[in-house]
Amino acid sequence: MASRTKQKEEARARRLAEERARAERARRDRRLRTVGAIVLGAIIVVAVLIVVSSGGKKGGLQTGTEASATATAVNGLLTGIPQSGATLGNPNAPVTMTYYGDYECPVCQVFTLQGGFPQLVQNDVRQGKVKVVYKSFCTATCNGPGKSVFNTQQVAGLAAGKQNLFWQYTELFYHEQGQEDTGYVNENYLTGLAKQIPGLNLTTWQADRQDSSLATQVASDETDGHTIGVNGTPTLIFKGPKGQVAATQAVPSYAQLESAVKQVS
Amino acid sequence: MSTAVSTARPRSISLDGKLRIAIGVLSVIGIGIGGYLTYTHYAGLHVLCLSSGGCETVQHSRYSKLGGIPVATLGLAGYIGILISLGIRGEAGRALGFALALVGFLFSMYLTYREAFTIHAYCQWCLGSATVMTLLAILTSVRMLRFEAAPAAPRKPVSRAERRRQMAGRR
Repeated sequence: MASRTKQKEEARARRLAEERARAERARRDRRLRTVGAIVLGAIIVVAVLIVVSSGGKKGGLQTGTEASATATAVNGLLTGIPQSGATLGNPNAPVTMTYYGDYECPVCQVFTLQGGFPQLVQNDVRQGKVKVVYKSFCTATCNGPGKSVFNTQQVAGLAAGKQNLFWQYTELFYHEQGQEDTGYVNENYLTGLAKQIPGLNLTTWQADRQDSSLATQVASDETDGHTIGVNGTPTLIFKGPKGQVAATQAVPSYAQLESAVKQVS
Repeated sequence: MSTAVSTARPRSISLDGKLRIAIGVLSVIGIGIGGYLTYTHYAGLHVLCLSSGGCETVQHSRYSKLGGIPVATLGLAGYIGILISLGIRGEAGRALGFALALVGFLFSMYLTYREAFTIHAYCQWCLGSATVMTLLAILTSVRMLRFEAAPAAPRKPVSRAERRRQMAGRR
């Protein structure tokens, strides 16, 4: 009798253990399915976010009324300000702002078009207090797949500079800058920008692009930048009677540019 | 002996409590970072940054916004969501926290990749947020995988006579 009761208890314990194990397996399976679904869902959500983040405005060469409006804005900013090569402003201005930039650099675009730069040009440069010297320094272009185009694009600007229209070309490049790493800088793009500059002799510009001294200048700018420790663009260095300072912000406001100008004036 | 067993809390519940505290603390840190970056963005202020212009370069890059919304604000919303998930009981709360942290972690990795290879500048606040989100993803995944509900109380043996009485009661 006692033995039978014991057998029953053992059988019952076995059954309970099996039930528990089954329940535990089911719970584990359910949890793993939930985790798998969450991981898959998260990957899909992030993929969508990356597509949205990488998309947006593509930029690139403008045409028609859009191009005309941009050219008018650029001319409005620069007309009446002396230019010589890559220098904008009075050659005898007491303060020089050296601007290390890369035409394909998006932060340079923000600084040139939306930072304190337009106001600096309208006020200090126009009044002859400050001159701006642009130097080529490869950052965004060299880190993308089309780094071989850096020399060609920077020389295109310097070739416009031979007709004292370097800053028109530079401003247009930043206004119509395309999306990074898309290979938008090609012959059609570079010539398209040149065609938008009123007063630029296109034939002379094309011929000047072959001038080896301009390629040498691009290489020399790059070497100068490395020598003084430039490691990103835009890098802005102010030099005046009281010495030299570098802007600490990547995209300084006009007040910050003014402060730097005052420090060296 | 049996009293000690019945009053002791299962070990995994205690682990869950610790995980909840750690997740809560990290979420608050994340809210601080996201809140500061969101505030400076909308107030037009400059971000306090240790490296020369790195934060501004990143903040002015095209990757700093998603559909016009600053990614810092999206991060802030994510941290708040993770914190709220701690207050939701059961599997749903754990799953929500894990899902938000995982999305945050994967997107943080993408943004860090962009900082390194596209923007070529680092923002300490962004790297700090990426670190917090990574830790949150680890902790919420541990919480999701390791949590065990309190086991059901073992069935008490019932005598045959007692069972008969129960059956009669049901009828």
